[in-house]
Amino acid sequence: MESWVRFNSQSQAKERVIRAAQYACALLGHTLQKGGAMAELNRTVSQLEAHMSMTRKLLRLGNSVEALEAAKKAIHLSDGVLRLCLTISHLNRAMYFVCDNVLWAGKMGLVSKLDQHKWSQRSFRYYLFALILNLTRDVYELGLLIEHQGPYRPSKPACSPIPRTTLSSPSTQICRKLHLLMTVLYSNPPLLLDLLKNSCDIFIPLDRLGIYPTGSGFVGACGLVSSILSILTIVQPWLKVKP
Amino acid sequence: MDAVVRFTNQSQGRDRIFRASQYACALSTYLLRNNSERKGLVAKLKSLESNMSAGRKLLRLGNTVNSVAAAKRTIQLSDRVLCLCLTAANVNRALYFLLDNVLWARSVGLIRDIDKERWSLNSSRCYFLSLVMSLTRDVYVVLQLMAQRARDKHFRQKMEVRLGESSEVAEAVVPHLDAFLFLLLESLKSHPAVALDMLKNACDLFIPLDRLGIYKSNPGVVGFCGLMSSLIGIITLLEPKLTLKP
Repeated sequence: MESWVRFNSQSQAKERVIRAAQYACALLGHTLQKGGAMAELNRTVSQLEAHMSMTRKLLRLGNSVEALEAAKKAIHLSDGVLRLCLTISHLNRAMYFVCDNVLWAGKMGLVSKLDQHKWSQRSFRYYLFALILNLTRDVYELGLLIEHQGPYRPSKPACSPIPRTTLSSPSTQICRKLHLLMTVLYSNPPLLLDLLKNSCDIFIPLDRLGIYPTGSGFVGACGLVSSILSILTIVQPWLKVKP
Repeated sequence: MDAVVRFTNQSQGRDRIFRASQYACALSTYLLRNNSERKGLVAKLKSLESNMSAGRKLLRLGNTVNSVAAAKRTIQLSDRVLCLCLTAANVNRALYFLLDNVLWARSVGLIRDIDKERWSLNSSRCYFLSLVMSLTRDVYVVLQLMAQRARDKHFRQKMEVRLGESSEVAEAVVPHLDAFLFLLLESLKSHPAVALDMLKNACDLFIPLDRLGIYKSNPGVVGFCGLMSSLIGIITLLEPKLTLKP
């Protein structure tokens, strides 16, 4: 019970749980529609999803300040690539939150004559840029780890029982590289989780911006998986990738 | 800015800001109700208030567990009066959150055939009881402080000086009342946490009193009291030493 109280007291944790529920509703709505369920049930599920989306927007009202603070911290990092990726990612996130706040004000009726579609597209564009930069950072970290791991390759790679004289075969090389990649990822769970999370998340803006439409069911599933992974990193802080 | 981030990161901090905004909207709506030129603004404020209320209901979904955990802690207190008051307050708050969650499920359409009015009245009753128990605890703490102060020699000297120099008629006619009020004010001044908690609970009390029809005021008074108690709640979160413990 104590761990629930601690979890619940974090604003971000609540927002992640509501996000997971929202995308679960989206997935459920899509499944019910495919399965030909009653219109009333569909309506309830989509109303619940809209209610959760509005509440999350309300909860995100102060987040641009947080993102700016994170950008200010990231600008002092020693590694040049990390510094660039993280600072710009946080700045994009801050802009995404500002657009999100404007959308919330528009939905509330506080700002009249707001072009909801335009601002929604704008916010998804900033979100997409932030995710691309996060993925770049993940790939960069992965590259660094592979470089360090490289000289210590195992003498008997599991996927190639053939003798060492056939090293130059491209399939063996690919196999060896994949094995190295898997080993590195397996021994660095925070990086693996972050990579998976960002890869799942990227399908959401790609679908909404029409760049790679996948459908509401797939988007719902990706959103649900990334929210669950994010909740895992909150519950077990060692799983959060640093910085 | 760091302090702002730390404050809003707490779930409670955000909820109190939303609560303050919700009651500020309610108060403004009441004040502008007769102003025909501001009908658009009033409509916006009403929409904002109802959306914040709905959002806060969703955000309160896990709070029953919090209150039950708090009740488990307070049941182990050594002082019996505090133990009784705080545990009863926490148990009532847990019930209030439970009923509130059911009302949320009703409002989003997950549960359909329940009597919304009856459940709403019951949840207000639980909230009312928890506030009454909290106020009882505040009064008990103040009485303890006053008893402690009265025994204190230094304070007794101060009191004698004050009673001796009171030349005004009113103070001389009712010396006991004057002495009592002086003791009360001194005790409250030396422990601002108790004074703030008492004020907050007293302001909060008007909300269920109006809802249950025990003491019908008007939406303006309810809005004002709600706003005051939310602001006090924000202050106690920003300055942890102003929070009453346990």
